[in-house]
Amino acid sequence: MTTSIVSLRRVTRLYRTRDIEVPALVDASLEVAAGEFVAIVGPSGSGKTTLMNVVGCLDRPTSGTCAIDGTDVATLDDDGLARLRSHTIGFVFQSFNLLPRTTALENVATPLLYQGVGRRDRRARAARVLDRLGLSDRIHHEPPELSGGQQQRVAIARALVTEPALILADEPTGNLDSHTGADMLALLRELNREGVTIVMITHDPLVAASASRQVHIADGRLVA
Amino acid sequence: MTLLELLRLAFSRLATSRLRSALTMLGVIIGVASVVALVGIGQGTSSTITARLSGLGTNLLTVTPGATQNGNTRGAQGSATTLTLADASSIRGLANVAAVAPELSGQGLVTSGAVNTTTTILGTTSDYPAVRAYTIAAGSFLSDLDVERQLRVAVLGATTAIDLGLGSNAIGSTIQIGGLPFEVKGIFAAKGTATFQNQDDEVVIPVSVVQKYFVGTKNVRTIGVSVASQDSMDVATAEITSLLRERHALASTATNDFSIANQAQLLQTASSISATLTLLLGGIASISLIVGGIGIMNIMLVSVRERTREIGIRKAIGARRRDILAQFLVEALTLSLLGGLVGVVVGLATSAALSQLGGLAIVLNPVTLGVAVGFSALIGVLFGVWPARQAAVLDPIAALRYE
Repeated sequence: MTTSIVSLRRVTRLYRTRDIEVPALVDASLEVAAGEFVAIVGPSGSGKTTLMNVVGCLDRPTSGTCAIDGTDVATLDDDGLARLRSHTIGFVFQSFNLLPRTTALENVATPLLYQGVGRRDRRARAARVLDRLGLSDRIHHEPPELSGGQQQRVAIARALVTEPALILADEPTGNLDSHTGADMLALLRELNREGVTIVMITHDPLVAASASRQVHIADGRLVA
Repeated sequence: MTLLELLRLAFSRLATSRLRSALTMLGVIIGVASVVALVGIGQGTSSTITARLSGLGTNLLTVTPGATQNGNTRGAQGSATTLTLADASSIRGLANVAAVAPELSGQGLVTSGAVNTTTTILGTTSDYPAVRAYTIAAGSFLSDLDVERQLRVAVLGATTAIDLGLGSNAIGSTIQIGGLPFEVKGIFAAKGTATFQNQDDEVVIPVSVVQKYFVGTKNVRTIGVSVASQDSMDVATAEITSLLRERHALASTATNDFSIANQAQLLQTASSISATLTLLLGGIASISLIVGGIGIMNIMLVSVRERTREIGIRKAIGARRRDILAQFLVEALTLSLLGGLVGVVVGLATSAALSQLGGLAIVLNPVTLGVAVGFSALIGVLFGVWPARQAAVLDPIAALRYE
């Protein structure tokens, strides 16, 4: 059996609004093996963002167990979760979420800052990843000076720079035109072929078709 | 994260909003500048007072006669005529006494050629410069021999010499005092005004000459005593008291027929007044520093709100609470410390301008500067910690969704 990067066992996440408990995720079980490219597909409100927050160690399950790269998140405090995010997970967001007034190079180098990597080393590694994604002539540009596709590439470079076990992409094509979106999916497939494990969340079945496996989510329940 | 990394983050952040950073620092700049300038003025005033008072004479005790007793009517203090030259010379024999100068003075007309002036004619002995802290600018002071032989020689105060149009070449020339000819023996260096009296406006002649030609008594008005050291002031006071009581043959029940004033007490009072003044000025200035700190807190809170999404991103990519806390705290600290340093420069410039234009004596003490900068750093931490904590405890999910 291959190693599981993501291992969810009967995960439930309830949100409490006033007196009503809203179940955002119910009894979700999911295994993602190393090297997989999994798409989690569902309409808005289906609980996929909650699933992404749990898998991304930004949130904790109300019940059930969630292990990321073999570590049960229930055993970790907030700083422990931060360390797990820092070393194991690379985020790619729909709205890119680059740091404002910060160059592409510094954006990509920032995750290494929180790992305690020295400045020279950080910048060298960030430059290497940007170069690999074809952005070597854009490293000193700030986000507003970059196109949407370039910004998303910077965001992917930032996710890759720590060489994480898992890339977590939340609607990575949502803010891009269809042509740039297709490029982005091609890039993700290429990275996956090179061995990066990817979990992608999308509402778009066409986008989901790029993945090697699809998991559907509806009303907080996973349908394999 | 190392301090260097944090400082780099803080500086690049502050550089992106220069105007806001500058305005925020302005509060601290004004606070620190006013602390530096006002405490400088306070300490300057204090040191001026101390310098002027010590110009009156160091470790000085002044012995004055007591009141006359005429039946049941008690006269004013100092109206009695109980102190004599013999008292003065016996006080000089005490172990803790360094110098003794009896004084007997009155107003008189002094004439040099066609110029004249009315001034204080003061009779004393050779110890006078040592007791009253005078220095001779030209010629020499009265000798014991001058006093003993009742020679008509005079030493001029700096102001009197100017009034009479006499310079250092006047040594050996003759002036008229109260109609009698005196030889000018020396001229004092200027001392400045210590109290309400110009100490440079006087003519000093042997006390024996005053007694013989001008007052016709054997008494002296006061006896100035310079005590050997500051520590023995009280001992010397006690010794002089018992010596004079014995010499004046006072019964053990009788009150003293003289009184002894301690210069140090006056000095202590003056310096405690100026210390209070310094504290008051510093306190007022500190209030503006605290207001500056509140300005920093305000801006940091706005900044945390504005940068909620940035905080969320940083947390998602691995920042721990303490990383965020440190980032915002160092930002606040950089603002306040930078403001403090600029404030010191502005304060120094203000002090220089005040002492140039206003003629105020200003003492700038490195400790004051250090305390002002340290205090501004403390303000930064104090008022930065709350906004930084707010940033650190943000929920990353909510922060990422924040628009």
